[in-house]
Amino acid sequence: MIVGIPKGLLYCRYQSFLDTFFYELGAEIITSPDTNKEILNAGVKYCIDEACLPVKIYHGHVASIKDKCDMIAIPRIMQLREREFICPKFCGLPEMVVSSIPDMPRTTMAPIYAMSKDRLYAWAKKTGSMVTHDTGRIKRALDSAIHEQQRFKGGIKDEGFRLNIALTGHPYNLYDSFINMNIVKKLNKLGVGVITEEYADESIIDDQVKKLYKKPFWSFARNSYGFAVHSAQSKAVDGIIYISSFACGIDSVVIELIKDKTDDFPFMVIKLDEHTGEAGLDTRVEAFVDMLERTR
Amino acid sequence: MKVTFPHMGNIYIAAKALMDGLGVEYVIPPFTNKAALEIGSLHSPEEICLPFKIMIGNYMQAIEQGADTVILTGSCGPCRFGEYCEMQMNLMKRLGHNLDFIVLDVPLDIGAKELLNRIGKVSGASTKTKAQKLKAAVDAFKVMHLIDDIEAKARFLTGYEATKGAFKRLLNSCKAEAMNCKTPEEMLKLLYDYRSRLDKVKTDKNKKPIKIAIIGEIYTIIEPFSNLYIEDKLMDYGVSTKKTLTPSWWYKNLVLSPLKLNQLEIKRKARDYLPLGIGGHARECIGEAVLAHDEGFDGAIQIFPMGCMPEIVSKAILPKISREKDFPIMTLVVDEMTGEAGYVTRIEAFVDLLERRKNNVLSGC
Repeated sequence: MIVGIPKGLLYCRYQSFLDTFFYELGAEIITSPDTNKEILNAGVKYCIDEACLPVKIYHGHVASIKDKCDMIAIPRIMQLREREFICPKFCGLPEMVVSSIPDMPRTTMAPIYAMSKDRLYAWAKKTGSMVTHDTGRIKRALDSAIHEQQRFKGGIKDEGFRLNIALTGHPYNLYDSFINMNIVKKLNKLGVGVITEEYADESIIDDQVKKLYKKPFWSFARNSYGFAVHSAQSKAVDGIIYISSFACGIDSVVIELIKDKTDDFPFMVIKLDEHTGEAGLDTRVEAFVDMLERTR
Repeated sequence: MKVTFPHMGNIYIAAKALMDGLGVEYVIPPFTNKAALEIGSLHSPEEICLPFKIMIGNYMQAIEQGADTVILTGSCGPCRFGEYCEMQMNLMKRLGHNLDFIVLDVPLDIGAKELLNRIGKVSGASTKTKAQKLKAAVDAFKVMHLIDDIEAKARFLTGYEATKGAFKRLLNSCKAEAMNCKTPEEMLKLLYDYRSRLDKVKTDKNKKPIKIAIIGEIYTIIEPFSNLYIEDKLMDYGVSTKKTLTPSWWYKNLVLSPLKLNQLEIKRKARDYLPLGIGGHARECIGEAVLAHDEGFDGAIQIFPMGCMPEIVSKAILPKISREKDFPIMTLVVDEMTGEAGYVTRIEAFVDLLERRKNNVLSGC
């Protein structure tokens, strides 16, 4: 049994979990290549126009491996925390992909509720049974997958730079260097260090979120908001760059909430879509860094 | 305290009944219009969805008439609507308007006490007794059901009418007269009267009109301005339309959803294509499309505002339904830039297509 795992969307964060789970089940794993031009083009071809760039690219990843495997693991992540959600497109991701790409192999359809181990097990049982009927093995695979995931600590924290900026946005925009055109390297080259929300304390985020009239109900929005506002108010960094994909519903809200709380603190939003040109991005990043240097 | 609320289809009629019954001062914002949309687009964040912009326009026009308190429902779904209250409060404050927002959220998120507290703000302004307040609420619900009922019936029977435009005229005069009523009792009487008058309109049962289901995002299908009055246009073409999502449906859904008894049929129909609720009304949209096919409708039109997250998912799934069931579905995406001419052309072309499929190309000659 060959299981294909597309390297799009939240794979950057849950890579160890997915890989370990299917490996322990005894499946052969193939992953799609890192995002590249062909994947982007395939994604644009298959996906509906209204979707955002990361979702289109995910379609491209699926298309690039669909003929090479017996089943594709498309995680349908419903909730990561109690009373919180992530973008609705994740909840309908398998349906979107299956309806848009022809000749698809079998796909995983079970929803993931990652609030507790019991609920994760419900997912594991359904998904694992597509590979093996040995329930003991599925249980063990889930255990080691969770164990691996807990050891995973993503995020970026550069040290030793004169200027530092907080880089926020959805993880799949931050860690896919094709989508964001290697912005982290670009910044480093200009002498700017980057720090991401993974290095912010959970309690800091909670403190910031509590000050809102309404608790934000998106897990990623909550993190980005708490981290960005805290960074600005504590002046822990010199500026904030928010990487957002065009037509992202969640970002349209979070960016407004951040702007409302950070006053004049240097804040730049970079919108990405399939037409984003690298030269324009370079200019904007350089201008932003110049401004930070001058205000220092 | 002068209360106002954003427009959403026929809600203003029920709200009028409620406020009249409570004896609370209120402002009904002018019907959503171009100016409201322009004001809204000017002040709102660029990428937020259309309903937000229109609602800001509604508030601004209501403020001109002296409103100082906004009643808004909340939600905690993954859809952006739940965040409206926070953003709109910030925005209105930034624009220098001291508006009081009363956000009605489900008790699960804010606690039953807080909800009662917020409702108390409105009912506290009323001098009526408890029994009278309760009666006002009951009357308002009755009004909402009646007007939704009348509208649904008129829109569906349009295709069968013997005199062209009879139902449209009746519906329009019903809404206009309802606004002239002084008390909820008077309004209820009027609506009951209109409902029975609907049955007396002459229809031709032998007609086989084109039947279209309107599906998609709830605000854009309920608020006629946002969809450029698509239902009125289809009425003019002699097309029968049906929409499931209405304010009274929404309320029923809200009450039944904790028991998981809501929308059983729609959920069953959607199971093959989208088995889980993903937020917004995406599953309803899918279920309604399948249901419309099973009920013998000729086609469906999906409407949603640009960037609507749940409906993008359903838009990706609808072509599959269309393919497998041989059922034409057209999607219209609306935003503040939507041009009417292009929009009308698409609707006309779709109706033409449905007519041809029915093998009566010459029906219009």
